[in-house]
Amino acid sequence: MKQRPVVGKSPATGRPRTGSADLQRRRWLRAFGAAPLAAGIAAQPAQAAMKTNARIVIAGSGLGGIAVASRLMKQLDGASVTIIDVRQKHYYPPGFTLVATGVWPVDKVVDPTADFIPAGVKWIPEMVAEFDPAANAVVTSGGQSIAYDYLVVATGLQLDYAQIEGMDVAAIGRNGLANVYAGPDAAVASWTALDAFRQTGGQALMTLPAGPLKCAGAPLKMTFMVADRLQQAGTLANSRIDFHTGLPTDTVFGVKVVNDNVLARWKALGIHNHCLSKLVAVDPGARKATFASPEGERQTLAYDFLHVVPPMRAPDVVKKSDLAWKQGGFAPGGWLEVDRATLQHRRYKNVFGIGDINGTPRGKTAATVKKSAPLVAHNLTQLIVGREPDARFDGYTSCPLIVREGSAMLIEFDYDGKLTPSLPMIDPLQESYLAWLMKVRMLKPAYVSVLKGRV
Amino acid sequence: MYEIWLMLNIVWEILLTAWTLVLVLLLLFVGLSLAAVLRRGANWRAAWPVALAGAALVGVASFLLLPSLTRSSLGELKFWVDWLALAGVAGGFALLAAALLLPLTAFLKRQGI
Repeated sequence: MKQRPVVGKSPATGRPRTGSADLQRRRWLRAFGAAPLAAGIAAQPAQAAMKTNARIVIAGSGLGGIAVASRLMKQLDGASVTIIDVRQKHYYPPGFTLVATGVWPVDKVVDPTADFIPAGVKWIPEMVAEFDPAANAVVTSGGQSIAYDYLVVATGLQLDYAQIEGMDVAAIGRNGLANVYAGPDAAVASWTALDAFRQTGGQALMTLPAGPLKCAGAPLKMTFMVADRLQQAGTLANSRIDFHTGLPTDTVFGVKVVNDNVLARWKALGIHNHCLSKLVAVDPGARKATFASPEGERQTLAYDFLHVVPPMRAPDVVKKSDLAWKQGGFAPGGWLEVDRATLQHRRYKNVFGIGDINGTPRGKTAATVKKSAPLVAHNLTQLIVGREPDARFDGYTSCPLIVREGSAMLIEFDYDGKLTPSLPMIDPLQESYLAWLMKVRMLKPAYVSVLKGRV
Repeated sequence: MYEIWLMLNIVWEILLTAWTLVLVLLLLFVGLSLAAVLRRGANWRAAWPVALAGAALVGVASFLLLPSLTRSSLGELKFWVDWLALAGVAGGFALLAAALLLPLTAFLKRQGI
């Protein structure tokens, strides 16, 4: 099917012109970024790009989509790689907790998407409105039908605020309402709410739903940082922090040793944990939140500060397609039905998934993408040459778990919840300045390297 | 090996975010080195102690200040890798100081003066 060209794209690069005042500066930076590292350190083994005329469509321009595109452009010669995503701004979600707790300014988590679209990749600034894997085609929000030979689904996930009655994203930042997931603006607004709350202290309610979660450590980090901000302001003593989770008894994190460590720290900080208590409604104006037990028993609590974490699921476009799990634990959320080892779709073999959309255990983090993007690019390339995908993913993910301003734990683990520290001599449960330094200074540069397909 | 490659890329990306400063320092280093090399009587031997002392000063200052500049504190260094990492970063700043101070001092301290 014929594709409509991108409006206003540069004839030199094939990428859309942004026309922004700082475009020249950014192009200079791109030129530097695209240049190889100094000869002495650019020791990556050179591989000849494989010739192919395969048409590859990538749905989504988040970390996963762009990282796979960058790698495919290096590995394939002649392939047509198309990214479909309307978003003009690329967010750095791992920084949202830092923005929401007053550590970072918001500009550190927002960049133009155009800065990261690899040269030679066609970018269609629309959304995928429909997947038709039986016909090997996608339909965009603009009505284009785009045929593909191979598809990479990297749509990310949907924050399902509709499951919380009365929740209004526009109200974040007012009346003590906070939410770290909704985006950069919500993160800034959350800091406004937290900053006001810490002046006086009071009742803080922190929440965590059951089910697959993007960066499952974020609600814990927010809880630690709320306690720390109160302590810094001298208002912790006259405050109370309650953590309500929909998870079973004494569970706030999926890895037991980490879970137990966090609960012990919370006990020392006086943070109260309430399990099987799911946030179901909020009245921001009255500052009241309603929680429900699995038996349906409801309890409405007043708060001065509420951190809302919504349930998460696949976007409708995936959930309602034939690409979603049809049975099993991932079916209700509509997550992408991929093999957890190869990340290849279990029924449509020319489809791969990357990032938050995958119906796999754990690992909806940037660290997971860092480890799995090379694997997806490799397995897809194997498929193009007629071989079986042979790279296998162990479910690696990591979480720099902030325990207070200035200190964190660097926790890495796999599908089975087994700790897998990159540096074996370092104790993952030891709070550390280095882990903090990595979180605030080193992980964004690492993230950008992943986007560029280098690491 | 992967961790080394990752770290090199992190350093590269950090340098890119401060590329104007990196460029200025690089030009300064090249300019000072050329000036010292081309100047008759530049006293490299006498420059070493000054450069090393300056580097040590910068290293110690970096070690003491870096935690607070990264919104932490020396009190948070409770793990041996923290000390090692901080020493490594401070050592990098010390090396940079030495690289600039050595040609500068050699240029200024002419032999026989």
